[in-house]
Amino acid sequence: MDLDRAKLTFIIEAHELLDAMETSLLAPDSSESVNAMFRAVHTIKGSAGLFGLDSIVRFAHTVESVMDRVRAGSLPFTPSLVDLILACHDHMARQIEELQEGEENGSPGTLAASEALLARLLPYMEETPNPHQANKSLVSPSWQHSPEEEESGQPTWHISVRFGEEILRQGMDPLSFLRYLMTLGTITHLTPILDRLPAGAAFDPEHCYLGLEIDLDAQVERQVLEDVFEFVREDSQIRIIPPHSKVEEYLKLIRELPEGDLYLGEILVQGKCLTPKDLEEALSTQRQEAMEGGTVQGRLLGTIVVQDQALPPAVVAAALDKQKRAKEKPSHELKVVKVQAEKLDRLVDLVGELVIAGASANTLAAKSMDSRVLEATAVITKLVEEIRDNALSLRMVQIGETFSRFRRIVRDVSQELGKSIELEIQGAETELDKSIVEKLSDPLMHLVRNSIDHGIEPLEIRRARGKPDTGSLSLNAFHESGSIVIEVADDGGGLNRQRILAKAVERGLIQDPAALTDQEINLLIFEPGFSTAESVSKLSGRGVGMDVVKRNIDELRGTIEVESYEGAGTTFRFRLPLTLAIIDGFQVLVEDTSYVIPLDIVLECLDLGPILESEQNHLINLRGEALPFLRLREVFETPGPFPARERVVVVQIGDTRAGIVVDRLMGEFQTVIKPLGELFRSVKGLGGSTILGSGEVALILDVNQLIQLATARRPNARPRLSTTA
Amino acid sequence: MAKTIMIIDDSASLRQVVSITLTGAGYEVLEACDGRDALAKLTGQKVHLMISDVNMPNMDGISFLKAVREVPAYRFTPVIMLTTEAGEEMKKAGQAAGAKAWVVKPFKPEILLTAVSKLILP
Repeated sequence: MDLDRAKLTFIIEAHELLDAMETSLLAPDSSESVNAMFRAVHTIKGSAGLFGLDSIVRFAHTVESVMDRVRAGSLPFTPSLVDLILACHDHMARQIEELQEGEENGSPGTLAASEALLARLLPYMEETPNPHQANKSLVSPSWQHSPEEEESGQPTWHISVRFGEEILRQGMDPLSFLRYLMTLGTITHLTPILDRLPAGAAFDPEHCYLGLEIDLDAQVERQVLEDVFEFVREDSQIRIIPPHSKVEEYLKLIRELPEGDLYLGEILVQGKCLTPKDLEEALSTQRQEAMEGGTVQGRLLGTIVVQDQALPPAVVAAALDKQKRAKEKPSHELKVVKVQAEKLDRLVDLVGELVIAGASANTLAAKSMDSRVLEATAVITKLVEEIRDNALSLRMVQIGETFSRFRRIVRDVSQELGKSIELEIQGAETELDKSIVEKLSDPLMHLVRNSIDHGIEPLEIRRARGKPDTGSLSLNAFHESGSIVIEVADDGGGLNRQRILAKAVERGLIQDPAALTDQEINLLIFEPGFSTAESVSKLSGRGVGMDVVKRNIDELRGTIEVESYEGAGTTFRFRLPLTLAIIDGFQVLVEDTSYVIPLDIVLECLDLGPILESEQNHLINLRGEALPFLRLREVFETPGPFPARERVVVVQIGDTRAGIVVDRLMGEFQTVIKPLGELFRSVKGLGGSTILGSGEVALILDVNQLIQLATARRPNARPRLSTTA
Repeated sequence: MAKTIMIIDDSASLRQVVSITLTGAGYEVLEACDGRDALAKLTGQKVHLMISDVNMPNMDGISFLKAVREVPAYRFTPVIMLTTEAGEEMKKAGQAAGAKAWVVKPFKPEILLTAVSKLILP
């Protein structure tokens, strides 16, 4: 019917609105663009409701509420919020696309994405526990039961209305409400009340002086009757008295409510004993009493509704009983299957073997030159890749859980030290291997405690430095060029490099202070037995900890960077591999030895040109940039003549680039990392080994150590990649 | 004689659905895409009810309401304002301007029909 055409209009309209929203989001500074964003979400929500697209409505509603707060100026439009709203925008676009494809209620994937985004929006929402209940206001609680009605036992509602004087001017006709009541049931008795009618000159024909006492025979809920008068409620007095027989029904409804953790008011509303407006009125009475009495709370809600005769005590008692039982029930179930970690590890191991076996089959197939075999192995390779990714993703967990444990720690520790510190968490949904997450928790704990204890200054110093009273500590996780980066940043005093240097010289850790870069000085704090804190506090400062942090991160094949500005704060940055088990590798040859470079750090490959004048400095000119390089042949002391053509693999870790010179490039393949034996632990530049398809062993390079070797030759000129480089 | 309702909203799809719903229930429907458009189309003919969005370009619902109450022919015409739960402030402003009937967006067509029939039956 016509509705389908209207839906099509809606889809087109929604796409246009979303486009406009995106444009505004990318330039969110003016109030008009914020307004435009709000209007886009608002209109989509409004129209979606017409088609009963509840999932879209629900999502848009939350986004709209957040945007409304931004619009009202009660919420700053921070870049992270902009990102979030952008993500929400993309999500709505997806919802509309699904609708276009005929998926009215949204696919399970999209619904899950909705939940995830809604959870992220939650912190930006206003902190009213029950916005839906609270928004619908009014009802006068002062009405009294009429005893006769009670005794008669008739299933008759009694409605008492005193219309507001202004309603005629507002376009409301008292008669229209009576007409509408008659569509709900039979009006058995009607008494007009004219006692407010003034005499003579005081009478204004545009004023309404009418009151009505109505007896209505109708099988309806209280809410329905209340809604009849919703447009005149605010100016008029409406009292609705339930028929006696309703009480039994209320009790039954309350008992049948699904279990859940609810407020008493919510139970009463869901049991249809009170309307949300009644509840709001009772709650505001409660608040008012609390204010007037100067106490924390006025009378209890149950007491209020009983004493105001809104409900008989039996109903409230039943609701309280329900609430008590609900609290004993456990909370909701998660839709997850719990699997023992060992089983997962075993699976990942097996997949590793499968990868190796697959590579072996590939090699044989390539030799056979049989196109059918090649085709078959190609399919298997693709499937193995997928299985590998899936198996690894099973072990991936979000870091958010680890992060959020720090909320408590930050709160406790900062209170203990009498500092006011706010913890900001970003990238909680970033995933990484469970085995890594487990080993991260200790180093993170050390750094967080250190930041609270030594990083963020006492209040007096903060004030003197013109910083906000509340210190800020942030935990941030994100993916960057194939690795995961985790940051612990504070806005505290920063590292005191002078003191670090003095201490390092005193402890004999360094000889020549002048030769060190800032970064290298910063990293000194990770040396064993190093602590510059003047006083040893209960939490940190004993010089144990930071070296443990370094060791933990090393074990994870990760690196640490420290960025610190004196007086402005410190950021510790861990860079970790996504997984410990299987990586995409890039195979290279020196003579007949195979080496593997993790593919995600490989930037490009090129020929090493004719020997340059800077050969002795080990630098090549990469499009104008000085790139330090090293020959694997030299590092591992491989015998044999230099080949006629050498190749350079350009790698990047963090913002440091270097070239690795090899004989031949063999291409990419999947690598299962096998640890090196004890014998090779101390060899610099090797991170592990792997087995090639041919059954030969290849060595996996620890590129980080190699880069350090390459750059260490020129200690005064570390290549930094930045806009100025 | 069917009663006439004017719907004022910038969303064409919303107008379309509301129009289908109301026409189906036996009302006549006029459409306008914002307050300014509505004022231009209201030239003294009998309109029994107006349904207006609040948040619209050119002329918003509240300004429209103020303006239309100045026109003698529409001084006592009931107006249903469409609003959202997020727009409580707006609602207060609207009430100050004399808007009493509010329907909260998002709504299903039958909700609007119920609200309309409380004010005028077809």
